[in-house]
Amino acid sequence: MKLDASGLQSFAPHRADPDNLYPDLSAPPSFDLPGCPDFDGFQKKAIQTVKPAKGTTTLAFIFNEGVIVAADSRASMGGYISSQTVKKIIEINPYMIGTMAGAAADCQFWHRNLGIKCRLHELANKRRISVTGASKLLANILYSYRGMGLSVGTMIAGWDETGPALYYVDSEGGRLKGKRFSVGSGSPYAYGVLDSGYRSDLSIEEAAELARRAIYHATFRDGASGGVASVYHVGPNGWKKLSGDDVGELHYKYYPVVPAIVEHEMADAPPA
Amino acid sequence: MSIFEYNGSALVAMVGKNCFAIASDRRLGVQLQTVATDFRRIYRIHDKVYIGLSGLATDAQTLYQRLVFRHKLYQLREERDMKPETFASLVSAILYEKRFGPYFCQPVIAGLGGDDQPFICTMDCLGAKELAKDFVVSGSASESLYGACESMYKPDMEPEELFENISQALLASVDRDCLSGWGGHVFLVTPTEVQERTLKGRMD
Repeated sequence: MKLDASGLQSFAPHRADPDNLYPDLSAPPSFDLPGCPDFDGFQKKAIQTVKPAKGTTTLAFIFNEGVIVAADSRASMGGYISSQTVKKIIEINPYMIGTMAGAAADCQFWHRNLGIKCRLHELANKRRISVTGASKLLANILYSYRGMGLSVGTMIAGWDETGPALYYVDSEGGRLKGKRFSVGSGSPYAYGVLDSGYRSDLSIEEAAELARRAIYHATFRDGASGGVASVYHVGPNGWKKLSGDDVGELHYKYYPVVPAIVEHEMADAPPA
Repeated sequence: MSIFEYNGSALVAMVGKNCFAIASDRRLGVQLQTVATDFRRIYRIHDKVYIGLSGLATDAQTLYQRLVFRHKLYQLREERDMKPETFASLVSAILYEKRFGPYFCQPVIAGLGGDDQPFICTMDCLGAKELAKDFVVSGSASESLYGACESMYKPDMEPEELFENISQALLASVDRDCLSGWGGHVFLVTPTEVQERTLKGRMD
């Protein structure tokens, strides 16, 4: 039994393949369904197993010099930290990047799938796809899998002919255009820092510092965020990774422990 | 996440040569949100008995207050301090009293008993004692702690080496747990003195 994915079918002309040497090339991607007696019950259990609370912090904002994209690098399974070195900023093509929040496998697979589709568009139309178009492709795919338990909360950031662009796309099928987004369990903390420090006329270094601080504050307060704060910048010539700082060290940089200069001190014994 | 992991905690106690060390993390959280980074989990009953309480923080505080009350009463009646073995039995009895509505805590008790021999033990939330000769762990990071202690522990360590080992074991384990960490607290107790130190750890 195969899942009906005809919504994903492209309308490109079918290439001449009379001997059927490449049957899978133009077939729409499809996934085998498990052959079990209670499919709905199994699906419910599978969704519960995969459904993490999007334990992460990612953010992106547009300013005069382009788009800044930043994320932490922790992967957690409930209370256990499974990795502190996950790449959550995925490079779709040299001028577009996406962030990963939710199930890692879902984000990695569908971002790569989006990269493939963007390249096919370039080849078929002899021009780069716009960020609007790319985000719409992803949103339509995710909408067609709505309710099946995919967990994806991503931001697509890029620079196309209209200038810098930023879209938020999620696995419920939502797609929003905006200037400032933060996604994940640490996003409330990141928003606090981001919203209070944001100005559209920031320089690239100031904007990167704002993003780094926002991620750092989120990792401090949120248990499911941590590791390394990566900051990327998307400009007219494409994206560039600006920094990747360990948040453990960022803490002591932002709040250095100042030794108290005390000659003699009378103090009560510490409480038991 | 279970009720034991609601606040997040990490506790470990290790035995050395005529000394013991008991260490905890410093985070207090409400599920994933960190609310405090200076929370005390280890309490002093008297100079030679310390108790660490992991699990639900409100139950840990209430249980500690009840134990202090009972120990003070004991001191008035017996005109001496409780031995750690006796104290462990007291904690076990108090926990079992609440068998059908327990305190959601897992205590770790460490002390110097007769002849200043180190004594450590841990219990589950219903009071089942587990005595150990080397180390005991408790908290949301307990599985990581078991692994770290098992590999780092050596018998008959001197106080300085014991402090190094317990600190490394604690910091390595809480770095694999979302719900504990944000620094550490170590008490190193020998027959003559008590050293309390704060550890600098990852604050994420």
